[in-house]
Amino acid sequence: MINFSNLPVAVRQVIAFAKRDFRDWRTYKTQVITQVITIAIGILSWAINAVYRNRPVPEYDTDYISFLVVGLVIGNLVMPISQGLERRLNPWTLENIIMTGISIPVFVAGQMAWPYIFSLITFIPQLLIGILWFGVKLSINPLSTALAFVISAMILLGLSMISVGFRLVTKSTDPITWTINTLQQLLAGISFPVQFLDSFLPGISSLSWFLPQTWVYHLWRLSMLKAAAITDPLTQIECLKGFIFALILFPIGYRAFKWGLNRAKKDGTLGWF
Amino acid sequence: MSKAAIETVNLVKQYPAVLRNVRNRHPWMAWQVGGLREIFSRKKNFIRALNGVNLKIYRGEVFGLLGPNGAGKTTLIKILCTLVLPDGGEAYVNGYNIIKEPSRVLRNLQAVLGDPRGFDWRLSAKQNLEFYATLYGLPRDYAKKRVEELLDLMGLSDRANDMYQRFSTGMARKLQLCRALLLDTPIILFDEPTAGLDPASAVDFRHLLKDELAKSEGRTIFIATHNMWEAQTICDRVAIINRGEIIAWGSPENLKMYISPEKNYVLTIDGCCDALKMKEFMNEAFSLTGVKDLRLQADNASVRISIRVDKDFVFSEILDIMVKYGLKIKDVESYEPSLEEVFIALIRGGKRSL
Repeated sequence: MINFSNLPVAVRQVIAFAKRDFRDWRTYKTQVITQVITIAIGILSWAINAVYRNRPVPEYDTDYISFLVVGLVIGNLVMPISQGLERRLNPWTLENIIMTGISIPVFVAGQMAWPYIFSLITFIPQLLIGILWFGVKLSINPLSTALAFVISAMILLGLSMISVGFRLVTKSTDPITWTINTLQQLLAGISFPVQFLDSFLPGISSLSWFLPQTWVYHLWRLSMLKAAAITDPLTQIECLKGFIFALILFPIGYRAFKWGLNRAKKDGTLGWF
Repeated sequence: MSKAAIETVNLVKQYPAVLRNVRNRHPWMAWQVGGLREIFSRKKNFIRALNGVNLKIYRGEVFGLLGPNGAGKTTLIKILCTLVLPDGGEAYVNGYNIIKEPSRVLRNLQAVLGDPRGFDWRLSAKQNLEFYATLYGLPRDYAKKRVEELLDLMGLSDRANDMYQRFSTGMARKLQLCRALLLDTPIILFDEPTAGLDPASAVDFRHLLKDELAKSEGRTIFIATHNMWEAQTICDRVAIINRGEIIAWGSPENLKMYISPEKNYVLTIDGCCDALKMKEFMNEAFSLTGVKDLRLQADNASVRISIRVDKDFVFSEILDIMVKYGLKIKDVESYEPSLEEVFIALIRGGKRSL
């Protein structure tokens, strides 16, 4: 049994955020039920769709259903890292939270804690449905999966902090993140390998590799579908490319978040919508 | 160590006006055009919310900041809470600079900002407080004890497990005070402390501020309000702010004296009296140095004399003459201006220091 009193203050603070959001979430009882059903139906729908269109995906040595379901699982497992911060940002409580003197990293981690835990909880049944019902074949390398997680978390957290930094100032969606997220739908390879785009417009897939999310999906699929070993030089190069995005985006995101916070303090609009 | 709990030196704050104007005129293009222009443009219009504010608030005192809407009260409070950055000048909380040492500032000062939306509406009062107690870094067991103590102090123990959204305005205000007291800071700021409270709750709240928090516990209390009666009742000193400038400061009594350097009395004389005797009394009293005006009003039952004198006038001189002419005093009323009248006079007038 964990003794919460002995945990470091920062960890207790992150847990407090998660606990608050969980308590808030469970009070919406209908929403809890509909959310779980939506997730289950979502995965069924995508999987049935994938079975219908099933074809080999040579880029990852797998079939389409495994490719798609893993993509969907990644979306649920990793994307909440960015969505948590954006969706839980509540201007009404922001001023009071800042007045507690909490540090920015703890605040960021706290805001995304519950959405992430929720995704982890739903990740397991999703994966089980995929494997047991639809015959999804996974070939996982734990080390490279862990590395993919770290790199994707840095990328997505960076993007999210950029977005929130802008939102704190504009009180509206920021155009940069909106553009990246919209392009992701088409170019990041969520439901098809990016190379497939070239059959419509030769060379367009090279644009995909400039999108940070493409690397999130790519690295996860390499580690979950191809069991890419971390010792393999090809894997190392792919990870390095993704890591460069992470190294650029994470500090930019942190600075953008701090800029947004200071700018809102300067404009006196911290508690505004 | 400085005796001042709060000190501001030439504090200046200005807000950009462009964004607001663009948003008001064209809400749909606020972000697309106005927002971007506002963020990146160097040419901006500004509204001065604070214009060189100098204040010194001493430890243990109840200080009131009075001003009309938009005078800069909330801006000053938010600057002290490190929620708004000033554009010029300096501010210190127990000697800590609000820009350079915000975390130390927040260990010395907490605020009740008045916005009821500052809690999670779907959580209970207790859960909300426990959440903030953890964010303040209080040890778990102490936090639980402290939350219970504070809920008890505010009379909210019975409703501790109710969802915050079921709370009335008064209860919400009390819960905000509970949150501000979690850390046990020596300074507490209040923005409009009794706004929206019913008269009985407002009386209780004032009693809590003045007698419990200030007198018994020795905390420094800073309230921003436009409720003159409240300021007059509970504040040791007040400052009046208008258009971002402090235009007067001092004790409520001194402020009253300053705008009205004369005193007014109304004497009621028992029964009717001789007209000649009364005329002689009036002449002799009017000849006294310091008497500015003397008026007589008589009816069948009584005679009333209104007297206006200098503030330094010794009133016993009048009484001596009355005794000399055998006039019996039934009642004496003195009239002095309320803080509200002081406020209005000062807002329409200029800068005064007391």
